[in-house]
Amino acid sequence: MGLSLTVNGDHLTSTADPITPLVDVLREEFHLTGAKPVCREGFCGACMVLIDGNPTPSCLMPAALAEGCDIRTVEGLAVNGGLNPIQAALEACDAVQCGMCFPGMVVSLTHLLTTRPGATRDDIRAALTGNICRCTGYERIIEAALLALATT
Amino acid sequence: MDTPASRSVYVAPSLTSALDALDEGGAAAAPFAGGTWIMRAPIRHELLKPRYVAIGSIPELHGIKIDADAVEIGAAVTHATLAAALAELSEFNVLTAAAGRSANPAIRGMATIGGNLATTAFAAADCVPALLCLDAEVEIASRGSRERIDLEQFLTMRSTLAPGWLVQRIIVPRQERKTAHARLPLRQAGDYPTAIVSLAVSLDDVGRVQTARVAVGSVEPVARRWERLEDALVGHPLNAAKAAHAAAGLADEFTGRDSTDVPAWYRVRVLPGLVRRAAAALGS
Ligand SMILES: Cc1cc2nc3c(=O)[nH]c(=O)nc-3n(C[C@H](O)[C@H](O)[C@H](O)COP(=O)(O)OP(=O)(O)OC[C@H]3O[C@@H](n4cnc5c(N)ncnc54)[C@H](O)[C@@H]3O)c2cc1C
Ligand code: FES
Ligand code: FES
Repeated sequence: MGLSLTVNGDHLTSTADPITPLVDVLREEFHLTGAKPVCREGFCGACMVLIDGNPTPSCLMPAALAEGCDIRTVEGLAVNGGLNPIQAALEACDAVQCGMCFPGMVVSLTHLLTTRPGATRDDIRAALTGNICRCTGYERIIEAALLALATT
Repeated sequence: MDTPASRSVYVAPSLTSALDALDEGGAAAAPFAGGTWIMRAPIRHELLKPRYVAIGSIPELHGIKIDADAVEIGAAVTHATLAAALAELSEFNVLTAAAGRSANPAIRGMATIGGNLATTAFAAADCVPALLCLDAEVEIASRGSRERIDLEQFLTMRSTLAPGWLVQRIIVPRQERKTAHARLPLRQAGDYPTAIVSLAVSLDDVGRVQTARVAVGSVEPVARRWERLEDALVGHPLNAAKAAHAAAGLADEFTGRDSTDVPAWYRVRVLPGLVRRAAAALGS
């Protein structure tokens, strides 16, 4: 029996084993390669997606338990085909280096922006505890989040 | 990824159906709560079970009941939910900190208190020492039976529990006491703690320690109470420097775990400092 998943509003079916990490189904069956399996341990955040609105490492989520949930990947966060406010701010602040961590960063920060419009620098740091960036030193990412908060 | 087609995940709608499924599955089945430990089995070179019974949607396991005498916590309550629910109750500061500062925000929204207590191989579990110093009890259930035991007893028997059992809830008695949780991760956030000291004390009218509970986590394979230090604290005013001094004299009773990131001696060496931090957090 296949799994039935709702990803970025699309109803998709998967033949994967039920315990398969969602990130593998997204990438290998649905060809949504934004989420990246880097540590597969819940530490790095590169595989982060929104499940019913909550940032969730998709390496730790069995595909079967995502049935019936609203799954949003970074591919589904653009607004009308354009960048969403945090994506636009990250670009404006020239925050991206290698880009490996950014799909996860965008997912976590999109959630922060929509749920905590009054977030402070410390709140942003705390919200990114589970998103590791090896390149940037974080400061420009935090500046971009502050810019997005101030302009939305 | 190694995922044989025979594997299944059953999403149990109720406690009864979960217990039935676990009973029928026997040794091939196990509860699946937040999955933050189970899903990392391949990294630990462990095999997944053929059958998981997902308990995250069971309403009976999601309650947090705060009464005058006790707080009851359903096993599938997540760390984030628990920390939010107890935030205003200062006597539970130790548990709020354990649940609210471990791991990272996304993990805290998934990992459950029941999973934290039930994971035998996980020495660095934050809620275990926190609940030990609060004298918590654990209610375990299987098809047709239910038992309430001390957390200390549960920790000694959890690896040998017959298939079919699950942790249903945790019961924490309420008392007038001050509590604190001191942990040392190698990085400031998002890391496992190298060592943990959980502290709970009650004071008499003139500020002397009447009862003390100290629990140490992550140093040895299983968290445990530090009874000799508790005895040393009782009868004296709580003083962070003196508590740390007493801890330094008694720390040789611990044999640290060795690992690639932390040598065994280091886990023991930092204990007095953690005792100092925990006592200082209580205003001493
Ligand atoms: C990146 C990362 C960092 C982490 N850091 C910390 C940390 O610093 N401190 C900390 O305490 N935790 C930390 N954890 C979380 C840790 O994995 C969980 O706290 C916990 O040990 C597992 O909870 P779970 O609900 O995810 O359990 P699961 O993975 O679902 O299950 C774990 C085990 O418990 C059993 N089980 C689950 N629920 C029950 C139940 N009700 N009854 C009987 N058996 C049950 C399962 O069968 C399985 O054997 C971290 C996790 C990650 C991914
Ligand atoms: S791959 Fe999922 S958190 Fe790193
Ligand atoms: S930009 Fe390279 S890891 Fe973050």
